Amino acid sequence: MRLPFFEYHEPASIDQAVRIILEHGGACRVLAGGTELLPLMKFGLARPSNLVSLAKIGGLSGISSKDGTLRIGAMTTLTELAANEAVRQQFTALHEAVESVAAPPIRNGATVAGNLCQNSRCLFYNQSDIWRKERPPCFKAGGDVCLAVPGGKKCFSVYQGDLAPALIALGGRITLRKEGSSRSAPCEALFSGQALKPIALDDEFVTEILLDTLPAGTHSAYRRLSVRSAIDYPLVSAAACLSFGRDGKIEAARVLIGAAGPAPLQARETADMLLGKKPHEIDLREVSQAAGRGAQMVDNLVLSGSYRRKMIPVVARRAIEAAIQEALGKERSR
Amino acid sequence: MNRTKQYIRLRVNGEEREVAVSPNRTLLEVLREDLLLFGTKEACDDGACGVCTVLVDGKPMRSCLLLAVRMEGKEITTIEGIAQAGALHPIQQAFIDQGAIQCGFCTPGMILTAKALLDEKPEPSTYEIRRAISGNLCRCTGYNKIVDAIGSVAALAKGGR
Repeated sequence: MRLPFFEYHEPASIDQAVRIILEHGGACRVLAGGTELLPLMKFGLARPSNLVSLAKIGGLSGISSKDGTLRIGAMTTLTELAANEAVRQQFTALHEAVESVAAPPIRNGATVAGNLCQNSRCLFYNQSDIWRKERPPCFKAGGDVCLAVPGGKKCFSVYQGDLAPALIALGGRITLRKEGSSRSAPCEALFSGQALKPIALDDEFVTEILLDTLPAGTHSAYRRLSVRSAIDYPLVSAAACLSFGRDGKIEAARVLIGAAGPAPLQARETADMLLGKKPHEIDLREVSQAAGRGAQMVDNLVLSGSYRRKMIPVVARRAIEAAIQEALGKERSR
Repeated sequence: MNRTKQYIRLRVNGEEREVAVSPNRTLLEVLREDLLLFGTKEACDDGACGVCTVLVDGKPMRSCLLLAVRMEGKEITTIEGIAQAGALHPIQQAFIDQGAIQCGFCTPGMILTAKALLDEKPEPSTYEIRRAISGNLCRCTGYNKIVDAIGSVAALAKGGR
């Protein structure tokens, strides 16, 4: 498969990049690691006439810590993130999430912001040109049918990023840049909730991810279900972040479900049920059952929608249990 | 549309090379079609299978997902570049000795991925070996002999000290 022709830009600064993007408008795409965009272009699913590489812009990669905030540059590779000791020690869910992405040679190229801003996927959309030519174009391809749900009135493609559920659970923030201004927003602000265009960015791009030091007694975990451990995208995933008080009761909880719709899903009911409980008081079965409410699962990934729906409580339970175990383990080793 | 090619300089297997490339060409295409290094294989071409793996500044990467224009100044190692003075690299020899090659199509990617692992960690555990090659598909061997071959080189490194 050949890449279609495009013009390649390699600006040296963010302002220069922003100018090129403004000049070319929708015909322009930002190129980070390329592990998602280039396959989409090979499949004819993205047809930018201009690519703006961020590789030569200084200061966009690397991980640093300042005033209790960990700053992860947008162009930091997943390998660098996985190897970072501060992340491993403090932000277990993020460490586990990044370790679960694809395989080492992909992680050597893929970037943190690229992983966050990935498009939603569907078995009937992420196919070659030849495959898709045999069928009418679906909503995501600009048509007016859903190939996954006959008679479906909207697109059901699934956001399958691993990092986003973990980052949202950990209270991560992103810095967004556009011409002349930059702003900070919580990670969840990235998502539109619309499968046609899951990432709610138009003229902005992510320059960094910020993680504030978590309160003492906070523990997190990430678990996912996939057919093979390498290469595959998650078919269901869950991130849990629990803060235990001095009395051993959970004071704050966030549980996120991934690959269950066009954006990571906040399992608010589950989180509320965990509040005020000590580990031994938690009915894990009941708590995790509540996690799947609001999930949108149809037959558009390699495992059926009904099976994936049943797996949400299983994966959520694993994540919550792992976070509790980490809390108990660290308490014991103190 | 401006279709000018760009000149890029890169080091391939220790040798300085200069090629003129269109921006839409991948490193894999340039290696095979311009530099005639056919050891790097092409299969899925979308990053899933790992046969096109080469080392970029010592790290295994998918050459089908790298734009050649981005390789300016990079050190590329392909399977052709790891034998020293006519003698096979220990990992290549181990693959032969352990019967870890059947059709051979995944072998260049496997060996380069293994080399990157052993360069970083001369004595990896079996788990680490399996994780390292988890992105390289082999449809013949069932992986056991590949893991054995890489393990035998690791054991050699241990015995050699």
